[in-house]
Amino acid sequence: MIRGTVIGQVWATRKARGLEGQTLLLVAARDADGRAIGRLVVASDTLDARAGDDVTVAFGSGARNVLRPGPDNRDLLCDAAIAAIVEGAG
Amino acid sequence: MILARVIGEVWATRRDPRLARAKLLVVRPHAIYEPAFATRHLVATDDVDAGVGDDVVICLGAPARASLGSDDTPVDAAVLGVVDRVELSAEAQTAPGAAPGIRRALGVPDGAGHARGEPASSARRGPSGEGSGTL
Repeated sequence: MIRGTVIGQVWATRKARGLEGQTLLLVAARDADGRAIGRLVVASDTLDARAGDDVTVAFGSGARNVLRPGPDNRDLLCDAAIAAIVEGAG
Repeated sequence: MILARVIGEVWATRRDPRLARAKLLVVRPHAIYEPAFATRHLVATDDVDAGVGDDVVICLGAPARASLGSDDTPVDAAVLGVVDRVELSAEAQTAPGAAPGIRRALGVPDGAGHARGEPASSARRGPSGEGSGTL
């Protein structure tokens, strides 16, 4: 997973089957010191994250597990999802 | 997933049989936040009828491979959806260095009015004509 900051939202009406109603957020990836590293990720969101929120983003099959747990989620077209909204980090 | 713009299409008669029905698009990722990315592109399968000039969300890896209906396709990038609108937070729009890169990548002219490349970008917003009006 990576950490990042939600900087916006992407709206797409025409989507692949099965993704209706899914929220897509723009996340700017950050390094351990909190600086933007120059990468922008589009991540699915089920936690109702808002712009400015510090989040962790899961990639790969971990991202699909956020949307629908279990082995039978390979049909989901998703490679990045918000796994947690960060309140504090030490 | 990544945000990208469709810049072309690929035709190929001799192709893997598992790709027989797939439409192939050339996309340029907007995978930037601060510095502009060097020119780079991807070829992605398209099942949602995206066209040149559209901004799209691209899914990479195994989910893209499965998007054509079976798990054994030679695919690693697929169009997930066609972007109607991108909303940027106020912070992202005002952060030094951040917003201009995104705005340039999305083809939205700067408020200051000085020309910054991509002169035809506003005309390449796709059939919806809506563009990223909120940026």
